[in-house]
Amino acid sequence: MSGLREWGSRLWSTLRRRRRDRELEEELRLHLELATDEARRQGYSPDDARRAARRRAGSIPQAMDALRDQRGLPWLEDLWTDLRYAARTLRKGPGFTTAVVLTFALGIGASTAIFSVVSSVLLEPLPYEEPGRLIRLYQVDTDDPDDLEFVTGVHFGHYRDQIASFEDLAAVYTYRETGADLEMDEGAERIRVLYTSASYFDVLRTQPVRGRAFRRDEETEVPPVMSDDRQNEESQSPIVILSDRLWRRQFDGDPSILGQTLRLSGALRTVIGVMPPGFSDPVIGQVDAWLPLNLRPGGSNNPGNHYLTVLGRLRSGTPIQTARAELATLDRALAERYARQADEEHAQILPLQEDLVGSASRTLQVLLGAVGFVLLLVCVNISNLLFVRGTTRRRELAVRLALGSGGGRIVRQLLTESLLLAVAGGAAGLVVAKSGTAALVSLGSASIPRVDSVSFDTRVLVFATAVTLLSALLAGSAPTLGASRAAPGDALREWSRLSTAGRRSGRARAGLVVTQVALALVLLVGSGLFMASLYRLQQVDLGVRTDDVLTFEVHLPAARYDAQNRARFHEELARRLERLPGVQKVGAVSKLPATGSYHGWPTRAGTGPLAGTEDESTGAQHRVVAGDYFEALAIPVLEGRSFDDRDDADAPRRVVVSRALAERLFPGTDPVGQRVEIGGDPAEVIGVAGDVAIDPEGTVTRYVFHPHRQFAVAANRNWALTYTVAAAVAPETLIPAARRELAALDPRLVLYQPASLAASVGRGTAQRRFTTVVLASFAAAALALAALGLFGVLSYSVRQRRRELGVRMALGARASDVRRLVLGHGATLAASGIVIGLVVSVALTWVLGSLLFEVSPLDPLTFASAAFVLGASALLASWIPAHRAAGVEPIDVLREE
Amino acid sequence: MPNRGRTKTDVLQGTLDLMILQTLDTLGPRHGYAIAARLEQVSRGALQLNMGTLYPGLMRLEQRNLVRAKWGVTENNRKARFYELTAAGRRQLTTEKAEWDRMAGIMQTLLRGQE
Repeated sequence: MSGLREWGSRLWSTLRRRRRDRELEEELRLHLELATDEARRQGYSPDDARRAARRRAGSIPQAMDALRDQRGLPWLEDLWTDLRYAARTLRKGPGFTTAVVLTFALGIGASTAIFSVVSSVLLEPLPYEEPGRLIRLYQVDTDDPDDLEFVTGVHFGHYRDQIASFEDLAAVYTYRETGADLEMDEGAERIRVLYTSASYFDVLRTQPVRGRAFRRDEETEVPPVMSDDRQNEESQSPIVILSDRLWRRQFDGDPSILGQTLRLSGALRTVIGVMPPGFSDPVIGQVDAWLPLNLRPGGSNNPGNHYLTVLGRLRSGTPIQTARAELATLDRALAERYARQADEEHAQILPLQEDLVGSASRTLQVLLGAVGFVLLLVCVNISNLLFVRGTTRRRELAVRLALGSGGGRIVRQLLTESLLLAVAGGAAGLVVAKSGTAALVSLGSASIPRVDSVSFDTRVLVFATAVTLLSALLAGSAPTLGASRAAPGDALREWSRLSTAGRRSGRARAGLVVTQVALALVLLVGSGLFMASLYRLQQVDLGVRTDDVLTFEVHLPAARYDAQNRARFHEELARRLERLPGVQKVGAVSKLPATGSYHGWPTRAGTGPLAGTEDESTGAQHRVVAGDYFEALAIPVLEGRSFDDRDDADAPRRVVVSRALAERLFPGTDPVGQRVEIGGDPAEVIGVAGDVAIDPEGTVTRYVFHPHRQFAVAANRNWALTYTVAAAVAPETLIPAARRELAALDPRLVLYQPASLAASVGRGTAQRRFTTVVLASFAAAALALAALGLFGVLSYSVRQRRRELGVRMALGARASDVRRLVLGHGATLAASGIVIGLVVSVALTWVLGSLLFEVSPLDPLTFASAAFVLGASALLASWIPAHRAAGVEPIDVLREE
Repeated sequence: MPNRGRTKTDVLQGTLDLMILQTLDTLGPRHGYAIAARLEQVSRGALQLNMGTLYPGLMRLEQRNLVRAKWGVTENNRKARFYELTAAGRRQLTTEKAEWDRMAGIMQTLLRGQE
């Protein structure tokens, strides 16, 4: 306790130092006066009395020194002195200071920016009550356990009612982003709607702030994509829950909104609730309105139709393993019960957060690691700069050491300096981080989940502070220790004699440069591997034309368009678009190529050598096409013909199949004229089209194409079509004209998500592109830092060795010899760094394996290119110092002596 | 930071504290010079306390709340800082005195035994 009290008292005196100083002096003066009086009383003359008193009591300044030691906190006062001293020194070298602060800002800023994304995406819990209990449930085909599938309505029903480990289970229809046209007086707007089970709001523990959530008996709505007109007529009194955003924007936050009706995709709905502000779906994010999903058995809800996203909440205290065990038991019973209607399936559950972050988690870890390398490089670079400075300040420090300053005191002084630099750098780094984060968010918006929630919170600031202190220590320690250990005698001797630089510090700096080069090489290799992946991706043949194709979706509300009208409408719109100037061919399709799988249905050969054989694994991708789809995307028709006016609702069902499907179902025969059976319905094959990729990586799959005119009527499904407009001009320039044509046909329709085909397909590669861009900018910064480091070391060494070089030249060395000497020095440093960097890269790049595409983590070409780029930059960085060295005039140098 | 070996002051520290506390206990509130004069007188001139030793000692006691100081006026009408014992100081004096006696006893036995 008394220790604490003493400390507090010392702190207090430190803070009010001046006043205490005056008081103490006054006290001491009195002491001396009293002592003098005493001496006078003993008969001394005034002068002698003063002298005697001083002999007896000592002098005031001496006592003050002792008192100051006792009084304050010497280290705090030292720190203050050090800070002021450091600030003064740094002000004197503005170039040096700016360089160091900017370098720090780069390192601290970049790592803080990456961390802010990691923090919000990976560390921040989901914004729902007790998010740790949220899970996602998939179904898995027992024969193909790697493929996580959506859940059938039937299985969902069983899980929801029979698994005790779940507090509740919710089903969401997110098979494809679902939209609806909100029709207002001023026109239509496409909004994002989500079909959910009534339990959805309980699972997420968020209830409407106005009105109520859905009841279980209201789970009746069939999403238009899955419905035929018969089913739609069944929902008698449609209802809707609005988001806070939609309620405020479209209804001005009208407090009497409950019970009012609005027109959504042609049908009137009653508003029964409004959600609280900020509420969003964990899987798809912002949603404008919620509709109650049909979960009654029958129709789409059969045991073979996987289409539901299932979220759940574990009962409090129930471990996920218990739920898994319970599910396994139930699955065995269900497999038996539905053996004839479905393949053997079992449920698999994952913590929701883990499921959502998915592959982004690895990407972000890689980026965090990479930024760690950048930070290290920054610290080494600054270390190097401080070393140079340390050498020029050797004399100052040597004098201080010789005059009795403790080595520890000097270490503290120098660390204070690097701390001050790091703090300034950290402050500037926050600015860098702020804009860096904004750039990351916009760059990653398509590929990193939850990235829109990234924010600068306390955790990020704590991280930035920690990184600042750490880098101050890292950058400051090596040169500081070097300086404080210098023997004062040596340094003072050097003062009087122009001499070569201290060997030890030269070797340490060479070591730092080698480290820089090695770090830069690792980053170059990493980003090189991603660039190679991206390049390979761009070379992939998708089987379609992607240049200059405009795409957009058109959704026809079932309430206003029956099957016949839908068929007519799309042919009419295609014809109108084709007449626009710059347009070559117009088609439409139910799902764009290379954007993932969609309707996968079992498809069998009805005729030919395999007719009637049971082949359970031939799920083919089914696409509905309209207009000149094949021509617009330059998909070749290899045999037979594509669709035309003959293939209308009155004709027998006809399909075009892809080559892969033809080879699978009709091996060795002419597929044209054969029959396929789709869910029992036969259709005639009239043509074979070229293979089309299912994803941006070029995976070939089997396709069946249906003519929209037949499909719309025969299957009576209302599928939205995505238009593909091949153009001779930049596709984006056609958007206004396309919008006009659509409005001319029906002003209440929305031209939804217009984009070029290249961009739509590119969304699938967005995560790789994100990683590549970020890593490449890190690598570029690393390359620049390493080159600067090498340049700095060589220039310095040339300046130090001027005399030696001069003597060499006087003794007959030619300029080219000197140049070779310096270049050789640089090359040795760079080569050592490159070798070490290559070894480290070999040891590290395997972590990138799963993120690369058709590139081995040890790709020799990438490794060689990285080494070459770095080597070339190193030579470039060595050239100027070498040139300067060659220009040394021996006569000048000798005269300087 | 200058070298901080064990100077004479440090060795004296424990005893000096005890001497100051005892002086203040005997004489009541006194200023620095009076304390030094008293110790000089008691030791018959053997203890001449330098200001650089006395005042840091007083300050240390003050920081530990064993004495407190107030500005006052001497009999010759001079402004001076008067030190007096606090309750904690009085308790400390008792413990330290007992400790000193114990230590002195041990030393005495030890030294006698060696004779």
